[in-house]
Amino acid sequence: MAVIRGTKPTRAVLIALKRRMKVAQTGHSLLKMKRDGLMIEFFEVLNKAKTVRKELVESLLKAEQRLHMAMAIEGTVAINSVAYSLQKEPAIQLESRNIMGVVVPKITADAVQKKMYERGYGIIGTSSAIDEAAESYETLVDKIILAAEVETALIRLVEDIDSTKRRVNALEFKVIPDIKDTIKFIGMALEEMERDNVVKLKMLKGKSQRRVAEEEAKKEAAKAAEAAARASA
Amino acid sequence: MPVLRLPKFGKPVKYAYITGRVRAMKTKLIPAEMYPRMMSMEMAEIARYLEETQYKDEIDALSKDYSGTELIEHATFANLAKTFRKLAEVSIDEPAFLILEYLRRWDVWNIKTLLRGKHYGASETEIMKYLVPAGELSAEHLDELAKKETVQDIISAFDGTDYASALAQYDGKNLAPLENALDKLYYFRMERSVGGTLSVGGGLLLKYVRREIDIRNLITLFRMNKAGVDAAIIQENLIPGGKLHDELSRMAGQPFGEFLRGLEGYPFWSSISDIATADVDAISRIEARLKAYLIRYAWALSNYHPLSILPVLGYMVSKETEVANIRKIVRGKEAGLPAELIEEQVVVA
Repeated sequence: MAVIRGTKPTRAVLIALKRRMKVAQTGHSLLKMKRDGLMIEFFEVLNKAKTVRKELVESLLKAEQRLHMAMAIEGTVAINSVAYSLQKEPAIQLESRNIMGVVVPKITADAVQKKMYERGYGIIGTSSAIDEAAESYETLVDKIILAAEVETALIRLVEDIDSTKRRVNALEFKVIPDIKDTIKFIGMALEEMERDNVVKLKMLKGKSQRRVAEEEAKKEAAKAAEAAARASA
Repeated sequence: MPVLRLPKFGKPVKYAYITGRVRAMKTKLIPAEMYPRMMSMEMAEIARYLEETQYKDEIDALSKDYSGTELIEHATFANLAKTFRKLAEVSIDEPAFLILEYLRRWDVWNIKTLLRGKHYGASETEIMKYLVPAGELSAEHLDELAKKETVQDIISAFDGTDYASALAQYDGKNLAPLENALDKLYYFRMERSVGGTLSVGGGLLLKYVRREIDIRNLITLFRMNKAGVDAAIIQENLIPGGKLHDELSRMAGQPFGEFLRGLEGYPFWSSISDIATADVDAISRIEARLKAYLIRYAWALSNYHPLSILPVLGYMVSKETEVANIRKIVRGKEAGLPAELIEEQVVVA
């Protein structure tokens, strides 16, 4: 039996513990539901993350091949020159959303996918190999942003599932049994105290009855002595 | 567009000297049969082979700054610049004028690189790495321009030149209109200067320039029609001039399938008909075929009149093709691209 240390076996503590027990049991069942819900959400996000990661790798390979192709066709000299004409870098906006109490990021980016005439270089003096490489890298950046969002959500979910699981286990195997034991202990202690009181009361009652009987005996004796004196006189 | 003032060459033009020099220079080009062999060589073997060719000096000179494919690419560009400058130096009168007009494409390239570099905030040394002084602007002049602080300073340095009107298109943030204006100016000058020559071969050279304009416009149409860009925007990106300008301009903004059907029957169609389908995934394959078609057209023209500008044009196109072929092979091999992809891009006579 694991009793919570320093607990005083009083009725007030017992009431408080019973209240705590109720809260712990409600919390336990809620956290269990949250854990199960998070697990379902986790597997959904995991599947999405797997798909996104696969697409990311495919996009990366395609972008690399297209860049190498552009470098072969146009030369690094031309590619570097064209790369200098980049007008604006994509701006990332970070927001947050809530999945069952877990705050996960929502990443959006501006100006990633551009129309070919908005990339900053002249169309006439460049080639389609450059367009294709630029387009592939724009797609890749989009995939990276999506992967960052999904994978961060996955990590946050795992962390939250882990802490929820720990809480559920702590409640299930430590907090609730301890409270139960303590309640039992206090109950027993209180019963003991009650029995003790009954005995004490009984003893007191016997004592007072004996005192009353003695006093009555004394009174009877005094009365008898008075009657004997009156008779002798 | 500025009004191009053509110089007057009073006496009949003699092309014997320059075509003789070009014939000699042509012997130094890498023979066509070497490309399939280079495809099967290791990188070190390719480098060793290039050390035995005209690229030796540039490879030796640049080996302290670059290595591997970077070295080969920079060395071939440096050799191209040296060869073209030599060609311009040894020619006089009309050939010199026409060669210089052709080589201005490298000036346009360099001006664009300078502006892009400054726009991005690249250092002077970085920018200089990507310049190819093969045109009228010397390496020293380009170095001075690279030292300028801002894009506007570079633009101001061209005040009073024919480039000024094109450079005035800069709006302070977007280089694309300026770049397009420079390219349009180049082709405008080419068409006007070649059209002004009365010597033998001038007519055929004009035909080549117009075909180059048509091919460039056609490539733009392929790129932009495939991307579904509006007709008005596409038309802004077409080079004025060329033989088929009006017909091509009408094709701007057409649905891709309809656009392809409209191309059937043109002389270049046979070179792309097998890959130009509505579901083509990479326009770069079509572009490679069209560029190869143009190169072969230049080679075919170069044999028409031996004592004219045409063999010189043939040589310049061959030299540019050689540099591009070497780069495609070494870069492609380094990146591990499939052999068929590299072969598709290499243009051999």
